[in-house]
Amino acid sequence: MVKLTIDGKEVKVPAGTTILAAAKSAGISIPTLCFHGRLDPIGSCRMCVVEIEGCAHPMAACTTPVVEGISVTTNSERLQRIRKDSLKLILVNHPLDCPICDKGGECLLQDLVYEFGIDRVEYQTPKPERSSQYATPLIRYWPDRCIMCLRCVTACREIKGIGAIDIKGAGYGSQVVVIDEDKCQSCGECLQVCPTGALTENLSRYKGRPWLVKRVPTTCTYCGCGCQLELNVEQNRVMAVTTKEGKGVNRGSLCVKGRFGYEFINSEERLTKPLIKKDGEFREASWDDALSLVAEKFKSIKEESGPDAIAGLSSARCTNEENYLFQKFMRAVIGTNNVDHCARL
Amino acid sequence: MAEGKTLTLNMGPHHPATHGVLRIVLELDGEVIVKATPHVGQLHRGIEKIAEGMNFQQVIPLTDRLDYTAASLNNLGYCLAVEKLLGIEVPKRAQYIRVIMGELARIMGHHLWLGSHALDIGAMTVVFYTFRDREMIMNINEEASGYRLTPSYLRVGGLAKDITPDFIKFVRDFVKWFPTAIDGYHTLLTDNIIWRKRTMGVGKVSAEDAVNFGFTGPSLRGSGVPYDLRKVRPYSSYDDFDFQVPVGEVGDVYDRYLVRMEEFKQSINIIDQAIENLPEGPVNVDNPWVANPDLGAVMEDISALIRRFKIQCEGPHAPEGEVYASVEGSKGELGFYLVGDGSEHPYRMKIRSPCYILTSALPKMIVGHMIADVIAIIGSIDIVLGEIDR
Repeated sequence: MVKLTIDGKEVKVPAGTTILAAAKSAGISIPTLCFHGRLDPIGSCRMCVVEIEGCAHPMAACTTPVVEGISVTTNSERLQRIRKDSLKLILVNHPLDCPICDKGGECLLQDLVYEFGIDRVEYQTPKPERSSQYATPLIRYWPDRCIMCLRCVTACREIKGIGAIDIKGAGYGSQVVVIDEDKCQSCGECLQVCPTGALTENLSRYKGRPWLVKRVPTTCTYCGCGCQLELNVEQNRVMAVTTKEGKGVNRGSLCVKGRFGYEFINSEERLTKPLIKKDGEFREASWDDALSLVAEKFKSIKEESGPDAIAGLSSARCTNEENYLFQKFMRAVIGTNNVDHCARL
Repeated sequence: MAEGKTLTLNMGPHHPATHGVLRIVLELDGEVIVKATPHVGQLHRGIEKIAEGMNFQQVIPLTDRLDYTAASLNNLGYCLAVEKLLGIEVPKRAQYIRVIMGELARIMGHHLWLGSHALDIGAMTVVFYTFRDREMIMNINEEASGYRLTPSYLRVGGLAKDITPDFIKFVRDFVKWFPTAIDGYHTLLTDNIIWRKRTMGVGKVSAEDAVNFGFTGPSLRGSGVPYDLRKVRPYSSYDDFDFQVPVGEVGDVYDRYLVRMEEFKQSINIIDQAIENLPEGPVNVDNPWVANPDLGAVMEDISALIRRFKIQCEGPHAPEGEVYASVEGSKGELGFYLVGDGSEHPYRMKIRSPCYILTSALPKMIVGHMIADVIAIIGSIDIVLGEIDR
């Protein structure tokens, strides 16, 4: 264990802990922007700078490990000025997009600017034309809104283990690009961790404000994995799918299907009533009619050709309980062991 | 009480002389009232509860609808409470303009009172003159905010926007004209023998009773207690202005009438001092968490855009704690009690309505009088049901 003082408070943490984590364990909050709980510290935003006694320069709390006996100050006039200046330098080429940005209201940059009460940006910069290099049909990249925090790049590499994107260029011209197009699966991990509106979902853009939607926690229906997600519902329409960090088996991650495959829910082509084929044509029927027809056919096949003439194929999109009931039904009612399951999608 | 029988008479809520939707159940012995029970709540809109789901800035238009005859004063009381909770003070210029708007609202409230009070008692002419002059204030409200009756011109941290040169001109015109108008009101009523017979000695409240009932405002001062929050606990720069607090002697309907008539003069006097000594400077507090950046900056500066976005959509978060702030409304002490819980909504808002307390004393005031006097007494305490029922 390493002993140190943070803001006059004695803290004891295991060796190798960062100052940020040590402060958190002591209940001291340090503002962060690029730091994300699921990622290794990036250290690109300089919001978490702290003063360490004996060090001439302030250090980033998220990347600096604790050392025995140091004394850390997390808040001072100088640190506030540095943090404010860091934010101003981010704002210097940020576009005036808040009114049309899908992230508006949930944006970490907005929160910090308001928290620090930044009332003007004294600096100016030439604004280079930047084209959107990284984008898929599902993910939209807004290079002007990007604050180069590197969360997306790190998440792609560390959480997904893909490493499909990286930063290209330097200074104000830098932007996120795809380095290996075949690798990107459009899983959307990058837009999940994006603190601003630089990466947004292409399906739901301009449809509504994040704080107006109702978030309904549910389980993904695509495979047997059972990822936890939240349907963002506005006026009885699903607008987007989000997740909560650290929730469920997926701990906040989703695949391309879970995150973007929600449009079928409100599709007009969706089948909501059973159809029975009569004279070569499908006609709408009631559930009672459809079920009694199926039961009748099962019975006649079983009588004519024996139970093994029937096989059942269940689906991974059903719950475990439903699948259990299905195999029970096949074995006990129909009397066959011909039960299978797609077990994949 | 002949044969020990009384007649129960229901007065209101749909009665023009109950000043809104007040219902009074009267028990009559002949034409004399032996018992009176006021029933309130017909205009309950749940303003205090609605406010709990709004951010602090959004509540302002709700407060306009309390005492809608003097809307800006309600804004002022609410804004002062929130500013106390947030620990901010608005600039001097904003304080002066708030005083002007507040005193104009007081005059508007008294205009409605005088017109309808006289109309209730049978003097029909007065209302035409008071509403003629009230129209001038409506125009001033419109010039300031765009709205005539419920301006919602005040904001937490200052004002919606600065005043225009036309505003100053309109106010000066009004200040110049209004003393003549007050003299006109006096010629119609003050020495009018019918008016005096209907009001003198009616609805008497002693100073002691008035204090015990919890009276505030002109109704309290009519009973001879010189209690005025603008003097007792000056807010919004009221200590900069020179004005007097008129008081009555007897505490009857006529005294309360005289007190309000004098308040017309004092208010116009305050407005005159405020508009002539209007300080230069900003009208909003210099606080990046509360004051909305103006639209010009929003078009160019991203930090202003972000702050405007956050302030409009979410609003400042109040610290944990509770405050009470009150102003001298046109009817009495209008108080706002706010509890903050660290969020952008008031955790609880309670409005101390002067009219509610005045109404509670109504049964005591009207017992023993005739039915016609009930109308005179209700008019003299100048209640507004929008504020009673909230």
